[in-house]
Amino acid sequence: MSLPSSADVVIIGAGVGGLGAARELAARGIGRIVVLDRGYPGSGATGRNVARIRRMQLTEELSRVAMACQAKYERMGGELRSNVLFYRLGYAWILYDPDEVERMRGIVAMHARLGIRSALLSPDETLRHLPVFEGGDPVAGSVLSDDAIVHHDAVVWAHLDHLASRDVSIHPHTTVTAIERDASRVRAVITDRGRIETRVVLNAAGGWSGDINRLAGVRSPNLPHRREVLVTAPLRRSIEAAVTFYRPSEGWFNQTLRGEIVMGAVDPDEPAGVDQRSSWSFLQRTAALMTRKAPALRDVTVIRQWAGMYDITPDHLPLVGPTARLEGWWQALGWSGRGMMLAPYLTELLADHLVRGTAPDMLRPFLPDRFTATDEAATLETDYYARYVSGAPSR
Amino acid sequence: MAARRLAGSPEAADVARPPVVTFRFDGREIRAPHGEPLAVALLAADHPVISRSFRFHRPRALMCSTGQCGWCECEVDGRPSVRSCQVPVRQGLVARSEHAWPSVGRDMFGLLDLGSRWIPPTFYHHRFLRPAALRKRYLDVLRAFGGRGRLPIGRPLRAHPRVERALEVEVLVVGGGRAGVVAADEAAAGGARVALVESVAGRARPTRDGVQVLDGATALGWYDGEVSAIDGAALWSIKAGEVVAATGSYERVPSVRGADRPGVMGARRAVDLIERLRVLPGERPLLVGDEADLAPVRRAFESVGVAPVRSVSTADLRRILGRRGVNGAIITVGGRAQRESADFVAFSDRTPNLDLVLAAGAAVTTRGGVVVPALDEAGRTSVPRLRVVGSATGAAVPAAPPAHVHGRTLACFCEDVHVDEITAQVRAGYGDPELVKRRTGALTGPCQGKYCLQAFTCALAAAGVATTDLPSARPPLRPVRLGDLVPGDES
Repeated sequence: MSLPSSADVVIIGAGVGGLGAARELAARGIGRIVVLDRGYPGSGATGRNVARIRRMQLTEELSRVAMACQAKYERMGGELRSNVLFYRLGYAWILYDPDEVERMRGIVAMHARLGIRSALLSPDETLRHLPVFEGGDPVAGSVLSDDAIVHHDAVVWAHLDHLASRDVSIHPHTTVTAIERDASRVRAVITDRGRIETRVVLNAAGGWSGDINRLAGVRSPNLPHRREVLVTAPLRRSIEAAVTFYRPSEGWFNQTLRGEIVMGAVDPDEPAGVDQRSSWSFLQRTAALMTRKAPALRDVTVIRQWAGMYDITPDHLPLVGPTARLEGWWQALGWSGRGMMLAPYLTELLADHLVRGTAPDMLRPFLPDRFTATDEAATLETDYYARYVSGAPSR
Repeated sequence: MAARRLAGSPEAADVARPPVVTFRFDGREIRAPHGEPLAVALLAADHPVISRSFRFHRPRALMCSTGQCGWCECEVDGRPSVRSCQVPVRQGLVARSEHAWPSVGRDMFGLLDLGSRWIPPTFYHHRFLRPAALRKRYLDVLRAFGGRGRLPIGRPLRAHPRVERALEVEVLVVGGGRAGVVAADEAAAGGARVALVESVAGRARPTRDGVQVLDGATALGWYDGEVSAIDGAALWSIKAGEVVAATGSYERVPSVRGADRPGVMGARRAVDLIERLRVLPGERPLLVGDEADLAPVRRAFESVGVAPVRSVSTADLRRILGRRGVNGAIITVGGRAQRESADFVAFSDRTPNLDLVLAAGAAVTTRGGVVVPALDEAGRTSVPRLRVVGSATGAAVPAAPPAHVHGRTLACFCEDVHVDEITAQVRAGYGDPELVKRRTGALTGPCQGKYCLQAFTCALAAAGVATTDLPSARPPLRPVRLGDLVPGDES
């Protein structure tokens, strides 16, 4: 399919952010929407993640947003008439430190106020619900909620099928090489397959979005960080929650609907940069961590590993909205590992903003201009949880 | 298929008949020589069906004998999904089949296969949404169909941490067959420090000093230019100036319906069964392939008084018949299709092992319809440090037969993906090979594309999609137990 020479909106990136924005803009009557991707749709972080959709968050503000995000997913199948395999698998934070258990009492109470079903489980209750931890490091307790998973690829296809019926044109394997602009506004997007004149561009390029911002002369404090995943051969249903060990460097795992176990653990020393290569050290680190916590996992068979990127901002909240210094330059990036969960809802708010000209209240914490040009990505704190543990206030 | 044990023969005289042991499979007591591969012992005990395929519960049995195809997986002594061709039987071993009810031989879920036409890999995309209140229930049912083995909760095996070892050599040869040993010897003769990785212990015997053999080590990946390998005691990271892939070839399972039936096997495996293991896999074998390639398997059968019913070229094999075992085949004779009765099919076609080439991100191309590494005159791939030698180059493999592949032929055995399901994705506008992979599941099963890459690319080519643009290969090259990857201290 040849590129059009002009468009009303050009969206860079056909991941869950770009496709979600395309859906919402089309629904608001914007014509001629063009979506570009350097690979195939979903080839970045979207196609490489495990799609946990969790309402239970550590702060009230985030939990409220997450509730709206999960509700959006719950409706998505019906709205797009495509099954995205939304499934309430359950979600558990496994705690090993009695102090963490104490801290969780307040958080569970906050969840209850908001209407999120979460519960603090004793060590015995934890093992009863998740016997996979039998014989492992002694747990101090856990927080269990009824949160959900979806199928990441199914989300992409649901959007693609829907957008095909809405005349949104999607151009895979098209790389943006330059942005044409004048002093104050965007003029055109230049790609390796041609030039598209437009007055509105949305940067939703995930791990590459910092590069795309630079092409437009826009500074932003997000940096990509590699995150790795492995998957096992399918096993019979046996782990009744998506598990996270509270701190990212301690890892997470869950069983998919097919029975495979996906797992991972963050390397705290992971350098910033575009990198989607798998590593040998990841396999060893993850194997050591998981088999210590859940010895039954010694017997599972690793059949595949891969890597994707978190595009991380200093406050671990995405940049969603317009850019003051460059008219027509919109951003939906810096998802900080929560793009799958946040993007469908926040791009809905972004579309409202674009069409009405004012930011919806729920979008305000995410507006890109909360950072100034002098905010450096170097202040980035990769251990996002550390801020909550130390009691530092959240934004 | 009616397999039986053969009497010991003079050729096998150096293999003393070992003591007989008793083991159990699904409660049945079976006797076999100590140390015989479990899957072979089951075959010899006339219990050929060992596992069921993941989606449609198709009966599966011993096929590759090298731990690659995964068709012989079962639970062994409580460990899930063990490749039984790699397990020596011993007294008291307890094995059970997985993913079948009530038994692996007569599995009710096998009925799903009859409806496979109406259950494409994308079957759920626009279904199970109404009524909304039942959405979770639908997925609960789907979940009940998933999984294979049981997670051994509360009875984990003992951990055997492996020592992390780093090795730096000038030349690393992966694969200790003839070509690998020659390559290692040549490099050592030139004064290079050489390491040779060979997964079958005792197989590689280089003649030169200066070749360090990692005996019984399996290469697991190409990570950032370093090759990782695992053996019984260590996790290896090997840095090498040059890597030589001498990884050999795999069976190229015929692209016909029924090619995954118990009793279909590579010719070399049949020879090994008869000559070394003294098990006759069938009384009425049909041989498929080039006549010259079939000579050894023909000799093997004739040496035990079994005359092959017929041999046919790969192009003339149209379909393999039978359900829980081969009972015949449709072949073309003089341009006309006819039925031939047989209880076993041995095929000789092979395809280059591209594991390391794809893992390194080196370019591949097609020759005679076969996916082979793209090499220069010196055997170098597009990744300059990676060279390919021997049958892994694909130089000697026969061309793939002209495409008259039936739509209901399986392209991917792990995920039971049919050729027409791949074609359908292309037609629906999802023709990008990576999207075809994701939407059908082809190439994503435990064999990691080893046995389906060829059929996958053929099916795409037939649908008009460029074939060298293959989906990215993902490590590890072979399935590995999580517990085996735990690094530990030297003790």
